[in-house]
Amino acid sequence: MQSTEETSRKPENMWKDVYKKLQKQKSSDFQNYRIQQVDGGFFEKFGSLLREHAELTAAREAVEKRRVVEAFAQAVPARHDDDDSENDRPLPTVESGDEASLSSDSEVEGDKDRTELIATAWNIDELYCEVLYEILHNVGCDVALEVGQTALFSYAQDAFKMPNDKHHHFMELAEKKEAPELLVNVEVIEAKDLKPKDSNGLSDPFVTLYLATNTTHRYNTSVKTMTLDPVWEEHFALPIAENNKQDTLCLEVWDFDPAESVKEKLGKIFDVKGVKGMRKLMKEIAVTATSGQHENELIGRAQIPLGTIPASGMTMWYSLDKKNKVTRQGVLKVRIAFSSEKNNQVAKQEYRHMLRMILMHELEVSKVAPHWWCGSFSPPGDQLLVQHVVQSGIPAVEALLCQYCVYAFVHQSHALSLTLFANSLEKLAKPMRTDGVSEEDCKLFWDATKRLLPSCFAVVRKIRKKNCNEKTTMKQVTEVLKILNHIHSLEPPANVDLFPATSYPWATSADCADRSIPSTLNDAVVRGASDWLDYILENNERPDESDVSRLQSLIQIIQLVRSDLQKAIEFYDKLFQETVNFQYAKALYVYYQVKLSTMCEPAVIEICKNLKRLNYNGTSNNENAPDPLSEGTSLFELYLAIQRFATLGQGLCPADYDSFHIKNFHQWFHGGVAQWLDIAVYKALQRIEKAVELDTLTPVDNTVKYSSSAVDTLTIFYQVKIFWEQLNWPDVESCYTFIAKIIDDICRCSVFYADKMAERVDGLGDHSDIYEKRFEVTTEWCLAINNIDYVRETLEPFTKDLGMEDIIEKISELKSPVEAQRCQHTLENVIANAIDTVRNKIVELLETVVSKMAPAMKRLLIEGAELCNQDSNSIDRLMMYVDNNLSTLNRELNEENFDRTLEIVWDMLAGTLKEIIQSNLDKRRPPSFFANLRKTLNLMLGSFKNPDDYSSCDVLKKTENLLKVNGLETADLIHQVHLDLAEDFRKAKDSPFGEISVRVKFEENTLTVEVINARNLIGMDSNGSCDSFVRVHLLPEHKFSGIDKPKTKTHNKTQFPLYDEKFVIKLNPEQRQLEDGLILFSVKDKDLLGYNNQYIGEAFLSFSDIEDTVQSVETLSQIHLHLGRPTEKFMASDGIRALEHRQGDKLSKDFIKRFKQRMGT
Amino acid sequence: MTTSNSKQTNMRSVTKNTLLKVVILGDGGVGKSCLMNRFVSNQFDEHSFHTIGVEFLNKDVDIDGETYTLQIWDTAGQERFKTLRTPFYRGSDICMLTYGVDDKSSFKNIQMWKNEFLYYADIKEGTQFPFIVIGNKSDVVPEEREVPLLEMETWCNDNSITSYIETSAKNASNVQEAFKMAVQHWLRLESRADKNDPVIDDTVDLTKKHSDSRSSCCIGAGDE
Ligand SMILES: Nc1nc2c(ncn2[C@@H]2O[C@H](COP(=O)(O)OP(=O)(O)OP(=O)(O)O)[C@@H](O)[C@H]2O)c(=O)[nH]1
Ligand SMILES: [Mg+2]
Repeated sequence: MQSTEETSRKPENMWKDVYKKLQKQKSSDFQNYRIQQVDGGFFEKFGSLLREHAELTAAREAVEKRRVVEAFAQAVPARHDDDDSENDRPLPTVESGDEASLSSDSEVEGDKDRTELIATAWNIDELYCEVLYEILHNVGCDVALEVGQTALFSYAQDAFKMPNDKHHHFMELAEKKEAPELLVNVEVIEAKDLKPKDSNGLSDPFVTLYLATNTTHRYNTSVKTMTLDPVWEEHFALPIAENNKQDTLCLEVWDFDPAESVKEKLGKIFDVKGVKGMRKLMKEIAVTATSGQHENELIGRAQIPLGTIPASGMTMWYSLDKKNKVTRQGVLKVRIAFSSEKNNQVAKQEYRHMLRMILMHELEVSKVAPHWWCGSFSPPGDQLLVQHVVQSGIPAVEALLCQYCVYAFVHQSHALSLTLFANSLEKLAKPMRTDGVSEEDCKLFWDATKRLLPSCFAVVRKIRKKNCNEKTTMKQVTEVLKILNHIHSLEPPANVDLFPATSYPWATSADCADRSIPSTLNDAVVRGASDWLDYILENNERPDESDVSRLQSLIQIIQLVRSDLQKAIEFYDKLFQETVNFQYAKALYVYYQVKLSTMCEPAVIEICKNLKRLNYNGTSNNENAPDPLSEGTSLFELYLAIQRFATLGQGLCPADYDSFHIKNFHQWFHGGVAQWLDIAVYKALQRIEKAVELDTLTPVDNTVKYSSSAVDTLTIFYQVKIFWEQLNWPDVESCYTFIAKIIDDICRCSVFYADKMAERVDGLGDHSDIYEKRFEVTTEWCLAINNIDYVRETLEPFTKDLGMEDIIEKISELKSPVEAQRCQHTLENVIANAIDTVRNKIVELLETVVSKMAPAMKRLLIEGAELCNQDSNSIDRLMMYVDNNLSTLNRELNEENFDRTLEIVWDMLAGTLKEIIQSNLDKRRPPSFFANLRKTLNLMLGSFKNPDDYSSCDVLKKTENLLKVNGLETADLIHQVHLDLAEDFRKAKDSPFGEISVRVKFEENTLTVEVINARNLIGMDSNGSCDSFVRVHLLPEHKFSGIDKPKTKTHNKTQFPLYDEKFVIKLNPEQRQLEDGLILFSVKDKDLLGYNNQYIGEAFLSFSDIEDTVQSVETLSQIHLHLGRPTEKFMASDGIRALEHRQGDKLSKDFIKRFKQRMGT
Repeated sequence: MTTSNSKQTNMRSVTKNTLLKVVILGDGGVGKSCLMNRFVSNQFDEHSFHTIGVEFLNKDVDIDGETYTLQIWDTAGQERFKTLRTPFYRGSDICMLTYGVDDKSSFKNIQMWKNEFLYYADIKEGTQFPFIVIGNKSDVVPEEREVPLLEMETWCNDNSITSYIETSAKNASNVQEAFKMAVQHWLRLESRADKNDPVIDDTVDLTKKHSDSRSSCCIGAGDE
């Protein structure tokens, strides 16, 4: 009984430990593996190995992702030099919107910028001359030492691509050139209402300026394409001879090459992209310009005598005239002023042009890779530029601003390092904020910024597409964010459209007017994600159109998206948040969750609806797993994938998660859960079958009495539990029902296991030799029973582990306590039912064992009965058999099951005995046969460990009694009947027949009996009275032969007779010593004739109840005895029956005949 | 284990009854739960709740001297519980199709319930299955009755359902009878099945139900 505590505590511990324990057991591990093979590790995929699985998945995802990234990079080759990628497309466009330009994904406002090139080119000679002049007049000693003058000249010639002859010509000019005394500074501001010249009703206007005295020295503005209202805002400084105050300034507005639109020309030339293309264009234009072979057409001209200009300068609209034309050709706005020094704005314009020329030159010559150049020129280049700044007196901030503008411009065709811009902005931000910049510079700044921004957003959009390493991407993103942050800190002037629609065709925000840095950043992030998703979708391979591959492809997509998010969290999110206070990962998540929801929801719902039921009638052969199985499995995989994705969202956007569509993803799967449970059962059954097959039926270790399949089965249950946990179903009503189902299913698995176990041991222990066929209880049998019991014990803890209590509590909150209670009852019932069912299985198995032992035991009993008291080794052999089997059972079974076995054995023995007794009674076997049988039975019971226990088996006790009575010789049997009858009477509380009072004593061998009186005697005569007397018998009769049977006188007509008679009976010592001697008082009614005295009733007094005393009998207290008669029931007792069976026996026949009279009528 | 415990076991092993799995189907509110409660605990609740998913109770009945343990699964009739209840159909021995005599549409739906059951319980086509049709709430006043007994009988005849009865969980009329009738129907089919197909299958079938192991509540039926 000490083990009681242990056993009762065991299940809980066991359940918790079972899995750990299992893993410790090496052999079992192996077995486990083999069991998993049954279904390819079905549970492990979702079960306990989930973590490892997740790691594996992560690794796989990483590989997958890399693969996709690579594929992506290859699929879009142009992207490798990234920002310019769009330039491959047919060249977009010109400033005014034509349809194509709107739809094309251009990030660069190419045309306008390119026309500026034309301007540069047209003034290239002028600029070159200026550069040469500056070289000749280098200031400061430092530079000259580093780079010789000659080197600078040749550098300049290269950078400007000057042919030798021209170079020499300009050298001469420069050498002769003196600082001009007077300059007329002209700013060509804008024109209006120009007459159209081109077929499209527009013009490509530019302005040529020159002095009437020097018509060959012309200055050109840039060409503005396709407009009749161009804005130039360009600066020019024309030197005038002092005496030439009478000179005239000529301004001519031309249409650029009407035969071929700029657009067409550019399109042609820009077939060659990048720096090279630009250079080529510049050269071509230069040639055109100098040779004068262009086919330009004059729109109109204005002539302004210098004498009309006040010293302080003026700004005027001039109307444009044309020879032979009366009508006005348009108006031109210019600002004109005189100065003696070079105008700052002109100097800056020159500086910008120089920067551009030199930068382009250097980029080409030293073949700088995109994104690489970050601000350092070669020494000669640097020197030229520095000299210009110094000699023209450009303030540092303004020079910086010029650089920023030029770099932003060049950046469009050849990407420069973003660090360059970040640094420039760092320095410019403050002056920009504090209004330390002229309106014009401000305009330039924002214009440049407008150019720069698209490439910044492109970096964000294409964050995934870099095939370079993470570090570079990180660096770029970091710089972009810095840039954006700086720009965001500045307020663009109201008239600046920082986000022209043409540059942001990808932006999703509805109205470009509302666009801001943050909103565009968001758009860029989303667009990047959407491109990525599109790519994944395009490349997502689906081997066929089946639901399984549909599901698999969804799973893959989710995994890729999730790993993208993880990367976002890992690498970028912090950066975005810290730099620009933008929740990068969250923005991605918000986008992805919508996309994934719209992708998965309809698919899942449809697939769930069409799920086929598992066909259970199929054989267990799983060569080609049934389709519903893999379908359900894939569906579950998808569920888990979405679940993990959703969990990510909960962490990422705790505040918004509730509003996400993905939040209710489980509802899409509702129809699938039942299928999953079915699959789980199906798999579990398969595994159990395998586990039983692999079981060697040896204890898993020497501390326990169960074998591997029990542990395996528990592991399978454990897997089902893990499966349930994985499912983590949020809806409580369903949870409750599913738990009921799971418990029912587990019960089903247990029963299945029990059946399989029984099949497994069936036939074990059967022996046959020439003598007999017999069954030996084997340890395998016991293990089988223990195994099932072990499994049964875990059922209850298992169900607890499913989280029942929690669910019930939630139902109570959600619905009502009453309903929760009903649910709880149902679950409890289902569990109790499950446990009972399995217990019944165990009992069934125990019965099988016992029934197998039954024939041998039966034979033992019969042979014992036949052969008792003779020396027979057949008996010994049989005794050994019983003994062996029982001790095996006792050793191997736990106490409970052993007790149960004994109970069944008692039942079986009782049944067998009954059979034997019945058939042998029919055969009229002598009492000695039954006596021997009883002896053998007791011998046999003696070999049981707890022989006392059979007393709890009433059937066996009764049967044994039957045996006992049948084994008695008739005389003894008759006495036994009397003893039984005495016992029967003693139990009666009162009597309908009356009562007698006696005094009885022994003294030595003398028995003294005093019959005193009787009361309430039952009326026997017609008048309701009786004529009674009492006869005293001593029993057993055959032991008292020869002794008197004294009787009292008859007392007539009274029911209360006073007998008052004393009888003294001498006994011999042997008679006196009889243990079970009885005195029988028969009270009879005297018949008139004295022949047929009727029984009124009888009473017994046992010898053992009689005092042995020397006192006189009168001094003893009276003994009152109820009178009784044998009842019908008594007549059916074993003793009477046995006597009735002895029909050939006169003694018994007579006794029965007389006995029946004693019943009265 | 204590002696009292083993006594209990003893009792169990002695009184091992035939177990029968019964499912009760029918529209929400026709009185399935009330029928079960009346049958099992002889109680009636005027304001019972809609069942969530399923409810389960055990009850022993004596029929012709034999005791049968009925494992009764009462299901939720509301449509939203469909996916929750159908998994419980498999392995049933008896199916009770229930409607309310005061609710015509619940009667019309009997056909739907029968189909749903046959589909999810995985009953082979053409096999006889012990269905019993129950018209509950027979106590309602005649004005409220929408389904005459005759109409139900006609329907049952048309659908070869031989067991049908009108009951009232409210005043306890015919409830015991309905369950007994169901078991008797099952017995009839069972004895016929025993005669007709001797055990043929000797291959190991994972899911096969041994005809002699009726003792299980959960072994899949469907192969009889
Ligand atoms: N008059 C009358 N009312 C009944 C009877 N049986 C049930 N009701 C009432 O019908 C209503 C619904 O009974 P339920 O047993 O909960 O119905 P149900 O079929 O279990 O419904 P679901 O659980 O939703 O499928 C309750 O208000 C009961 O009081 C009946 O025999 N006669
Ligand atoms: Mg209900």
